[in-house]
Amino acid sequence: MTSVDLQELTAMALEEIAGADSLEGLDEVRLRYLGRRDGLVTLAGQRLRELSPDQRAAYGQAFNRASGELRAALETRQRELAAGEEAEREDAEWVDMSHPFREPGQGHPHPVAGLIREIEDVFAFLGYQSVAGPELEDDQHNFQLLNMPPEHPARDAHDTFYLSPPAGGWLYRTHTSPVQMRAMLGSRPPLRIIVPGRVARRDNPDPTHTPVFHQVEGLCVDRGVTLGDLKGTLEYVIRALFGGDRRVRLRASFFPYTEPSLEADVACAVCQGVGCRTCLQKGWIEILGSGMVHPEVLRNGGVDPETHSGFAFGMGPDRIAVLRYGLTDLRDLYENDLRLLECF
Amino acid sequence: MRVSHEWLGEMVDLEGVEPAQVADLLTLSGTEVEKVTAFGVGLDQVVVGEVVGLRRVEGSDHLFLAHVATPGQEPREVICGADNLFVGALVPWARPGTRLPIGAEIGRKRLRGIWSEGMLCAPDELGLGSDHDGVLILSPDDAERGTTLDRLYPADHLYELEVLSNRADCLSHWGVARELSALLSRPLRDPEASRPTRSSLSPSVQVTVDSPTDCPVYLAEVLIGFSEAPAPDFVRRRLAAIGQRSLGGIVDLANYVMFEIGQPLHTFDLNRLPGVERGLEVGVRRGREGESIACLDGVARELDAETLVITVGDAPQAVAGLIGGEASAVGRGTSQVLLEAANFNWALLRSTSRRLRLRTEASGRFERQLSPHLARRGADRFIHLAVRHLGATLGPGAVGGAPLAPAAAIRCDPVWISSILGMELGPDEVASPLRRLQFEVRQEGGEVLATPPPYRTDVSTAVDLAEEVGRIIGYREVPGTLPPIRQAPPPEALEEPVARLTSTTCRAAGFSEALSLSLVSGEREALAPRLRRDLPHLELANPLSAQLGSLRLGLLQGLLQSAHHNQARGQDKVRLFEQGAAFWARGQERPEEPWMLAVLDLEDDGAADAVTRLRHLMALIASLSSVGGGGVVEFRPVTWPALHRARAAEVWAGAERRGIVGEVAQPVADAFDIRGRVEVAELRLDGWLKPGGRPGRAPSLPRTPALVLDLSVTVPSRALLGPALRAVAALDLPELELVTPIDEFLGDQLGPGFKGWTLRLRLRHPERTLTTAEGDGVRQAVLRVLELEVGARAR
Repeated sequence: MTSVDLQELTAMALEEIAGADSLEGLDEVRLRYLGRRDGLVTLAGQRLRELSPDQRAAYGQAFNRASGELRAALETRQRELAAGEEAEREDAEWVDMSHPFREPGQGHPHPVAGLIREIEDVFAFLGYQSVAGPELEDDQHNFQLLNMPPEHPARDAHDTFYLSPPAGGWLYRTHTSPVQMRAMLGSRPPLRIIVPGRVARRDNPDPTHTPVFHQVEGLCVDRGVTLGDLKGTLEYVIRALFGGDRRVRLRASFFPYTEPSLEADVACAVCQGVGCRTCLQKGWIEILGSGMVHPEVLRNGGVDPETHSGFAFGMGPDRIAVLRYGLTDLRDLYENDLRLLECF
Repeated sequence: MRVSHEWLGEMVDLEGVEPAQVADLLTLSGTEVEKVTAFGVGLDQVVVGEVVGLRRVEGSDHLFLAHVATPGQEPREVICGADNLFVGALVPWARPGTRLPIGAEIGRKRLRGIWSEGMLCAPDELGLGSDHDGVLILSPDDAERGTTLDRLYPADHLYELEVLSNRADCLSHWGVARELSALLSRPLRDPEASRPTRSSLSPSVQVTVDSPTDCPVYLAEVLIGFSEAPAPDFVRRRLAAIGQRSLGGIVDLANYVMFEIGQPLHTFDLNRLPGVERGLEVGVRRGREGESIACLDGVARELDAETLVITVGDAPQAVAGLIGGEASAVGRGTSQVLLEAANFNWALLRSTSRRLRLRTEASGRFERQLSPHLARRGADRFIHLAVRHLGATLGPGAVGGAPLAPAAAIRCDPVWISSILGMELGPDEVASPLRRLQFEVRQEGGEVLATPPPYRTDVSTAVDLAEEVGRIIGYREVPGTLPPIRQAPPPEALEEPVARLTSTTCRAAGFSEALSLSLVSGEREALAPRLRRDLPHLELANPLSAQLGSLRLGLLQGLLQSAHHNQARGQDKVRLFEQGAAFWARGQERPEEPWMLAVLDLEDDGAADAVTRLRHLMALIASLSSVGGGGVVEFRPVTWPALHRARAAEVWAGAERRGIVGEVAQPVADAFDIRGRVEVAELRLDGWLKPGGRPGRAPSLPRTPALVLDLSVTVPSRALLGPALRAVAALDLPELELVTPIDEFLGDQLGPGFKGWTLRLRLRHPERTLTTAEGDGVRQAVLRVLELEVGARAR
């Protein structure tokens, strides 16, 4: 065989490679020409030994070129055919990609629970730890240690649920403030805690009342804590929750367990402070009660009011949720209607 | 409480101060103004007319035809429905073309064939209160025919106030004026009060107070010679403005003083009191069993030792601070009165008011710890007005109770006040707001000594002064700061709390977060499945209703109710979870408050699909335990009340039962009006989940290949896989890394009463590749255990 025969053989092989229409057929072609034992090109290569040294160089070069060319062609054709077969296989698995789908079924947070987590996050940023306390309390912690002795008029606003005997010594806490007492009695200042939790008051259910609702209490006790610190903290937190451009005002108030006492209002989002039905024509919506912890309450908590001071505040996440999400009825928060929950 | 701008203006100069500014100042300093309304605005078109003729309209049983005249004009005909007209009455007349303050436009109207020239107005139609009982009859002393009504009723603004519960001193115009005087830095003009020389022409009076604790002060004053004239016009006008009806001269005056000074007064008709001839013996004592009193409201009330009564000649004449007796009531023709200005124990009055279910303007003030010092002021103001306007003469008086202690000076350090308020204040800056509030202030060294005015019962300590200073300066002026953090990070700060982790995990598994009331109907909850089934409910002593009468023992009742709610509103799939406290009784001890999780999955599908949902629920429990550090969970089949008898299991982790899971029994679902199968779980999380535990040590990862073998066996059809797998695990074979059930075969080929399992065994040796023979050895060992445990045969 000469280099010319080799060329012819190569041309034939290339033609067959191009003509192969399946991976299987292509493999047959490969075996026919490049098979290790009896491939036509392989055999042609073995002839090298028979040639005279002066012929070998030229024939060797021609052979290497030819076999290289064939391998490249096989590889290319192999890729072409594989891609085609994959495409065919995929076509057979056609689906309607426009078909409507079922949602993956991620559950939704409750707006109040979600808001409480958000409040916890804001306060965590300021170094506050979230703690819990019992929902059933004694008169001592719910009232007396908080400067509300029996018959104190401020108890009127806390229309209290009492338990029947034999558990008659217990009541459903009317606010989360008793946890302030427990925190002060349980550890030493500095103290920064928030207390989210359920409370209950004897209010008949109506659009603005549910007998059970939530509060988030906060307490900061340290040396040199001022009302300015309270104001700064409330402004920070209210902006974090209601947006940076929301107007906030602090107004003097009265709570037996704080003095001075303050309430915080935010400008009504519905009317921007002009006055509307949502804010009862006031232009402002009350969202939070607060104040400097009363010296007597500090003393009851084992904290010396001569060396330490503190502030406390309490807000209603139910009410804030209603305001923020434009709900019209507080009772909706406890119906767990999925049409509502799925909005969050 | 409602106060009038015009009335306030008599005590503090409000010239140039807009009502909106007044409202803002009061609100920010603690006395919240809920509403400002204009009063008597637009009366410049309504004229005073005289009724010169009056007759019934023919054919009508309630309409009258009045001839109304103004000076120099012919009388005009006006039809009117009110029956209090009389010839000579001066009335407000809105002529055609008048626009009334309430917005109505008056025209000429034809009624029963007569043209009515406008309208005669009732107070409410003029924006003068809510009275609609008849046409407003004007006093000839004040009203001039033909003039417009705005001269009688100057335009005013009314403030609806929410007075703080510790500020009894603000329950009056005087009190609010004191606040405004301090806030505006304008001088206060106290209402005139004086006592003229006493006449001896009247019966003497004597007061005996049994207990000064019940009644710190009781002033009795005799006043005689009242004319029958109504109270002066400014009194009636201002009372009308704040919504009080006129009840005759003497009563109007007493009311006026209460709303002006804040001191409730009571007047007895002297001639209707027993023993008036010998001299009046007034007593303040507790009631006695069997006594009763017929009150002014027509109700007879039983008295007892818990009720404080006012007696004359030992006969009850009034329930102290609450309501007077009918027998001694002041009425038309009363010319002599016994005036009471007293102070009663707030706590006693509060409980009496609750017991009798009666609250009056007077009791509301006493209950809030009104200052006893106010009694003298109130009496003197009444005497001053009665002598001046009602022709009265002052007779003898008497005082009962204990001497009143003067207010004590409070010492405070401006540096300390500054440190509370967070703003630098010197002694003068502390003293100034206090002076403006009528405190007596002295400076001593660097300190400030302040004596509160006698009516301020709420100020007694230094921190009270700090609050007064702060609120009068205004919290707007306090710079907002953030306290520096000096607190070490809490030890558990990096751990995700159980509640949060639970919520995230449940939501990721497709369940939405629910919150239900923790008050339930005990009867209804008794129907629902729950983890703790052996306890009685904790009951409320004072429930709102039986529906909300018990504290929940578990959380599933709430979820079942929500499931019904959602299904009834067209949701075909309901997946909810709730976590929160339940309440478990421990006798007299503090009840236990376990932190519970309940999960519910409802769909109206078949029995087999329900099993898939049940397994999904169980997978959620296992994964919650796993991410929450609760360890490996084991489900032990059980029969449980209210759950499907063949589809219920206890959830165990370690040596503790942590919860229950299963399908709600059909009758229970029916009771909650739910269609379809409800899969539920209830778990107690506290004491179980401890998320955030940092791994002690990372394991070394094996580098040798695993040998994977499948083992198929035939077992009886009710064989339990859980115990079988646990028995295999108990073998503790070192090479056996993992056993996974990969198939359960339920076909008939295995014969009735049998089913097939295929388990995949993963084997590994830490140092070398295992041989097939070693693998077979393990498979044989596993098979033997399965034979013993569940009677398995190799398949």
